[in-house]
Amino acid sequence: MQFNSNNYDVIVCGGGHAGVEACLAAARMGASTLLLTGNLDTIAQMSCNPAIGGQAKGQLVREIDALGGEMAINADLTAIQFRLLNVSKGPAVQSPRAQCDKKAYQFRMKHVLELTPHLHLFQNVVSGLIYKSGAVIGCRTNLGVNFYGRTVVVTTGTFLRGLIHVGKAKSAGGRLGDFSSVSLSDSLQEAGIQLQRLKTGTPPRVLGSSLNFHRMIEQRGDAKPTYFAFHDTRDSEGLFHVEQTGADYIGWVPGSAQVSCWMTYTTPESELVVKSNLHKSAMYSGEISGIGPRYCPSIEDKFVRFSDKERHLLFIEPEGRNTNEYYINGLSTSLPYEVQIELVHSIPGLESATLLRPAYAVEYDFAQPTQLFPSLESRLVENLFFAGQINGTSGYEEAASQGLVAGINAVQKVRGEAQLIIQRHQGYIGVLIDDLVMKGTTEPYRMFTSRAEHRLLFNHGSAELRYYQHIVNHKLLSISRIDRITRKISGISYWEIFLETTKTEGFSWADLIRQKSKSTKLPRDFLAESKEVIEEVLYRIAYRGYLQRELKQVEKLESAEKIRLPDSLDYLKIAGLRRESALKLHHFRPTNLGQAGRISGVNPADLSILMVYLSSLQRKSA
Amino acid sequence: MPFEFETIAALATPAGTSALAVLRVSGPLSSGLANVLFGSITTPRMAHHADYRNVGGTLVDDVVFTCFVGPNSYTGEDCLEISCHGNPFVAQMILEDLFARGCRPAEPGEFTKRAFLHGRMDLSRAEAVMDLIHARSERALAAANHQLRGALARELDVLNAILINILAFVEAYIDFPEEDLPPSDRQSLLIQMDSLLARTRSLHATKHYGAILREGIITVIIGEPNVGKSTLLNILAGHERALVSAEPGTTRDYLEEPLLIGPHFLRLVDTAGLNASPSPLERRGIAKSLEQAESADLFLWVLDATQPVPQLSPRLTSLMTQANTIAVFNKIDLNSAESATPPTAFMSGRISAIQGTGLDELKIKIINLVESFRSEQDSDLIAISARHAHLLTSIEISLQLARVRLANEGPDELLACDLRSALRLFGGISGKIIDDEVLEQIFASFCIGK
Repeated sequence: MQFNSNNYDVIVCGGGHAGVEACLAAARMGASTLLLTGNLDTIAQMSCNPAIGGQAKGQLVREIDALGGEMAINADLTAIQFRLLNVSKGPAVQSPRAQCDKKAYQFRMKHVLELTPHLHLFQNVVSGLIYKSGAVIGCRTNLGVNFYGRTVVVTTGTFLRGLIHVGKAKSAGGRLGDFSSVSLSDSLQEAGIQLQRLKTGTPPRVLGSSLNFHRMIEQRGDAKPTYFAFHDTRDSEGLFHVEQTGADYIGWVPGSAQVSCWMTYTTPESELVVKSNLHKSAMYSGEISGIGPRYCPSIEDKFVRFSDKERHLLFIEPEGRNTNEYYINGLSTSLPYEVQIELVHSIPGLESATLLRPAYAVEYDFAQPTQLFPSLESRLVENLFFAGQINGTSGYEEAASQGLVAGINAVQKVRGEAQLIIQRHQGYIGVLIDDLVMKGTTEPYRMFTSRAEHRLLFNHGSAELRYYQHIVNHKLLSISRIDRITRKISGISYWEIFLETTKTEGFSWADLIRQKSKSTKLPRDFLAESKEVIEEVLYRIAYRGYLQRELKQVEKLESAEKIRLPDSLDYLKIAGLRRESALKLHHFRPTNLGQAGRISGVNPADLSILMVYLSSLQRKSA
Repeated sequence: MPFEFETIAALATPAGTSALAVLRVSGPLSSGLANVLFGSITTPRMAHHADYRNVGGTLVDDVVFTCFVGPNSYTGEDCLEISCHGNPFVAQMILEDLFARGCRPAEPGEFTKRAFLHGRMDLSRAEAVMDLIHARSERALAAANHQLRGALARELDVLNAILINILAFVEAYIDFPEEDLPPSDRQSLLIQMDSLLARTRSLHATKHYGAILREGIITVIIGEPNVGKSTLLNILAGHERALVSAEPGTTRDYLEEPLLIGPHFLRLVDTAGLNASPSPLERRGIAKSLEQAESADLFLWVLDATQPVPQLSPRLTSLMTQANTIAVFNKIDLNSAESATPPTAFMSGRISAIQGTGLDELKIKIINLVESFRSEQDSDLIAISARHAHLLTSIEISLQLARVRLANEGPDELLACDLRSALRLFGGISGKIIDDEVLEQIFASFCIGK
């Protein structure tokens, strides 16, 4: 007999970084939401390195905070080391990064979910989706229970047909020690969704007490932490019981009592170990067919492809305050366990390290994201949304960004309201989703600042300002926070104009700032503003010329984005359009001309033809 | 109803009497028209002989026609080419009949525009075709052919590759601050940057030569009144009567005459004499002469060999250089002693316009001088158009800014920003980015397929 549950607005399958943002967004918007996870104890698990942020990713996390997501505040409150990267460069390319206490991160997130109204958590492995006339209507679970929902968000990470490799040893699983889901893959394929294989890897973990830190270089956190969340506009956050426990941390605030990371290098001996054992590596012996990320090569790849490089840098990162486990960042491998031991022991400081967990590679199914609309809804199955690694991305931040957007859009879909579509020139989340759905990916996709055409506009401090319209239109934040952001925006505009137009000693304040004259004492009232306002104003003034140039280009771009392509357009019947382009356009159904131009294989000539065609349509209807 | 391109038709050969005239038709009606007009089943890309009868059934001419099936045609659409006898009246009759049968007149440059739109050629090739159409001399034809085969495209590829290489280096240090990258080697980037700048500049330097190839060499004949300027124009042009009768009773005070000298296309401009003490009427003529001089590529300064060399006005002195001026001593029939020719700062030629002597030598001197306009780097004949030149100016600015930042350790993200600007602008030359203005401008300046 089948037990049929209530009909939810949104069902989220998977409780990783994408899943938690999706279900939180939906529930916070007031939609009745169900999170189905295979294991409640691994909610928001950092399966790879215990860190949030980093180049381009840190900016993503701040954008997540601007759109009402949880990742930023969760990282701030569970971080054990903060560092702002690229401080030698300008604000546009500076990125916050934090080592987090892995367990605290997870526990806090789980607790947040538990306390969120409209959100129901349930531990159960989803075994398949239930479809009805081209739409998804719910999920089957391996308990034999069906859950029905108006929309379903699939955030399965690496769990679809997950296959773990350690040397020649193989086992099914989405993560070491976890299960793998085969039937859900089958169920997606039944609906016509095409799946491909990707691969990723993770390094060994070692016991801190077995390490010789004297042989390594210490890397401390910043004395002044750069937070991910916008604490200047956020409603006050109470700390939870799980963050920083123990007598040492009484009165703890984020960024105090930071711990260190450690740097060491591989040796010629390490290279020898790897090269003489290549045939035993799962990757190099042809055991793995999935494509791995170029930007995160295994140690095998590093030695083979960059053999002219003498040594490779490794970071030894603590996994938490209440554990002695360390993560060896940079030593991802699929070599057999016994070779891993030899390899680890060839590294200064790790000579007698005890391995707690082996390194492994994992292969998994992903669905090419070109099968999605820019809302992250499937083009093939209505009401079905995808977010995270199933879309071919890599990284907690990339996953969370998509989860947030998918969760919001699932609710919008249920309510018949406008979807949240972030443009490429508005922020990294816009670039991320646009790249995914318009271009697809052939390797695990990671965000880089260079993927953004207008990255100078994407300084991490401006995320709330850039997303203001979306926040207001989709009511993503509390009224009080929107109010504070509005005031922040007007404060920034006021001071920007004031400093540009008010003269002192013959120059405008802005000119003096641009001349970097150290003696300039800025107006006291200005300096009395919040740090966030001051930083943004100074950034806009110092980079004025470049920012204006970027804004001009965005304006041009927007004109192409404003030329809408009607849904009813039959590309296959537009004469003059090359067959290849017609098919691509027919598949992607871009909503505007700018988007059409970013589809690979669609050239300027095709766009001209589209423009000609659109104007002929207008003439006919006129 | 699905949208279709309309079928366009136009005369593809110059208007006027000639042996043959070619009419070109492009668009969906083309193949149907061939069937209706010529009845028989035609083989694509093969010339067929047939009678051309108009809608009323009247025989107009016997013609040779060729069908092309898209996308294997010039425009990428179905095409029809009709060669008729080169009687303007016949060609016009056929054209009007084609319009009666549903074609419309092609707009300037529309055949090439369609070829571009259908992906038959990239932008730089399309522009080369425009130049080919306009090619007025062998040299321009060679340059246009060269560009069409991709000399410009290839050079752009090289520049792009260098630029992308530099950019990649800069971006790496921005995007991977945590990686153990080798210390940033700005010196090697500077070397690449300098080579990129130098190559961009040489490409840009072909601008002047490019304009000359396209527009013709503006050759201004100046000199005192009655030194024989108009006579020189007439004998160089070789058709004095045509010149005189072409402009009967003209009130204009200068005349322009197209002229081929060797492989070069010259636009010969005759100006009013530079009278030292002019009447008010002459004064206006002299002002006009000076105006012409401002845009001159080449000066022919005509002097009376029997008279002392007159003083040039400061304005002319600043315009006339050894690189662009030939002093032409006329009336050597009256003073034949070579030694009698007073020295000037310029290369000089000695002629007798009346007797027609010394002309061949003068022509050789003109050819040599024009050849020297071409900088050494453009041995490849990459002569860029005005639009390319405009973009290259901006590219140079971006690259120079980038170079300063590179040399002074400026912020990497701004360096990258300048490099990206340059990259985008290069794309504007090859047409690989969307830029409506570019397309508009190019196709507006296109001439139909002739």
